[in-house]
Amino acid sequence: MNCYETLFVVKPTLTEEETTAQIEKVKAVLIKENAEILATDDMGMRKLAYPVQKNNRGYYTILFYKASGETIAELERNLKINEEVIKFLTVKYTKTKEMTQFNKLVAAASKKGELAEASVVETPVAEEAPATVETTTEEAPTAVETASEETPVAEKTEA
Amino acid sequence: MAERRKFKKKYCKYCEAKVSYIDYKDLAQFKFSLSERFKIMPRRLTGNCKKHQEMVTIAIKRARQTALIPYIVDRKNVVENPFEMIK
Repeated sequence: MNCYETLFVVKPTLTEEETTAQIEKVKAVLIKENAEILATDDMGMRKLAYPVQKNNRGYYTILFYKASGETIAELERNLKINEEVIKFLTVKYTKTKEMTQFNKLVAAASKKGELAEASVVETPVAEEAPATVETTTEEAPTAVETASEETPVAEKTEA
Repeated sequence: MAERRKFKKKYCKYCEAKVSYIDYKDLAQFKFSLSERFKIMPRRLTGNCKKHQEMVTIAIKRARQTALIPYIVDRKNVVENPFEMIK
């Protein structure tokens, strides 16, 4: 089992649900191939440095996972077929220095993911929060603040 | 007598910061090694050591592939502030 990182860019024309569906689709391929997904980093909508297939923006997602080498061929085949994915790049981490960096990245990504999950949990309480979380990374701190404020309320309601 | 060298002694900024790996997604880390037109700056100008220059090169090329930074900046599509997107 090797450590890999795959970055892929989804077309900006899709709606939010469609984008998440595409990400799930890619993850499903990995799960089918018995890969162990360690973390997911959502970079969100970004401006591309140059137009790709006439798109000026793209939705970036990074997956960190452990898998065998054959998995990559299958995954990249699927990414190539998928017309909604405009760019992808897989990086392998092998050397010890690279591995430490990989673990660091995984930790950072999972931390970020937990924060996002926390905001998702409190959706029934506050309906404004999800919109702010999804739009930009800059607004993430505010969302976190709301999350910390809202969580006690959520716990109370559960109790 | 020739004019005296006025430049500072060059040193590797990555060695000083003890960087062991340069991530292609972390644009701030290798922004220093890019020219205004997003070319990779040569070692003789940046002072990077061989080891780190190789890391920087790989990171920049990966970032280009994933459209994080442009391959070229030309007069056809002028960007007002090219480094604005790197933050």
